[in-house]
Amino acid sequence: MDLYVLSDGMGGEAHGEIASKVAVQTIVDHCRKAENSRATPTFGESHPGVSERTNRLTSAIHLANRVVFETASVNPEQRGMGATIVAAWINGQMLSLAHVGDSRAYLLRAGSLEQLTGDHSLVAEKVRIGILTPQEADASELQSVLTRAVGTNETVEVDSDEQILIIGDALLLCSDGLTRMVTDPEIASTILTSSSAQNAADRLVDLANENGGVDNVSVIVLRFLAKSESLLDRLKIWKRISG
Amino acid sequence: MSRLVLKFEGAVLKEVPLGTRPVTIGRAPDNDIPIDNLAVSNYHARVYVEAGSLVVEDLNSLNGSFLNDIRVERAMLKDGDTILVGKHHILVDQINDAAVPVDSWRKAPAPRMNETMVLDTRVRREMLEQAAAAGERSQLSPARIRVPTLTVLRGRTDAKDYRLTGKLTVIGRSNMATVRLRSWFTPNIAAQINKHDDGYYLGRGDIVPKVNGVEIGGLTKLNDGDLIEVGRVRLNFLYRD
Repeated sequence: MDLYVLSDGMGGEAHGEIASKVAVQTIVDHCRKAENSRATPTFGESHPGVSERTNRLTSAIHLANRVVFETASVNPEQRGMGATIVAAWINGQMLSLAHVGDSRAYLLRAGSLEQLTGDHSLVAEKVRIGILTPQEADASELQSVLTRAVGTNETVEVDSDEQILIIGDALLLCSDGLTRMVTDPEIASTILTSSSAQNAADRLVDLANENGGVDNVSVIVLRFLAKSESLLDRLKIWKRISG
Repeated sequence: MSRLVLKFEGAVLKEVPLGTRPVTIGRAPDNDIPIDNLAVSNYHARVYVEAGSLVVEDLNSLNGSFLNDIRVERAMLKDGDTILVGKHHILVDQINDAAVPVDSWRKAPAPRMNETMVLDTRVRREMLEQAAAAGERSQLSPARIRVPTLTVLRGRTDAKDYRLTGKLTVIGRSNMATVRLRSWFTPNIAAQINKHDDGYYLGRGDIVPKVNGVEIGGLTKLNDGDLIEVGRVRLNFLYRD
């Protein structure tokens, strides 16, 4: 199962970690269960404009939201904990993508880097409705204010998308620890000049730390080498706490 | 003499001198600074001189007026300040200002600064409501009700017309393709069209499509009437009622 899930916890170091762990585990379990049995119940609304698999990924995040929220509500000290999620599920050439929060997915194709996800953060929402410029958003002190997260409310709205992957594509999933420290052109050139997905992931994390990264940096780099699923380049997950 | 300079993405669109009369800003064409953008209210804000000071006042606009990135209802302006209305910036240029009499500040109290808003949960909620309202408005606008379609002008395909209903439209020989190409030697995935919040974007597949005769670079936003070439197949992208 080519499912990749990245999550960044919030609500205090320890609790954030619980939230992200619980969320990731719930998502993976739900998708695995659905692969074995189509009768697996779905959670949240499904969208007619996307495939069954993409809707299943969305359903998994709705379930994760419920599990994290309920975990927090029976443990008063964990109240308010939550996590971002960006998840990619690849089947043949079809990429299903779903996310909540400010962790991002990027596609590097033919040398140009496209951000596939829109952040659910206060500054990003302001930019989208046209009351803040991207430059002002980058300079804002309010970048950490999220408008959506998994587990902080009883329900959550999940964004989903689909793409067809073509040979040579690289997919990057990352936490804000990377994107606050490393610019898009730096990300693109690092992946383009790396010998493998592993090497690209290592170098991106190093670059974030060199540029003064203080937050956790999590990245997943995937390279689409051939149509066969088995030839998907190995992924690598890196998590490092600096300082 | 003082003036206001209207800018959009760095480009100067208009310069308006500041006199005794208030300068009005809004979407309605009879404003001194008209801004044709749905995020801007009909009568959005005004700038005038009061007690010797230049003042910006928001006229209860939906999306607010921002002075140097802080939402204000009423605030004093100084040279170099930037007012943000929608996506437009209005620069305050007071460099050669000599119009204000020296003693005028005694005649009336200085304009009251409305408290600037702190971004707490209340503001977050309000902002989301604004975003929702903006979304509703754009859905009501005629452009959003119209359905995007592809019409085949040349080449062998499984239909002559397609409505783009999903988030992803695949063009190619694959049986997962919405627009199935029938000619030999065409790739399974020749091109793809992705739906984004602001429209439809054409991307490459195993070949690079052309839009209006030019090979696309990255994702390319499709406009009504665009001519798409995927190999030998020519498609017309049209919004229809």
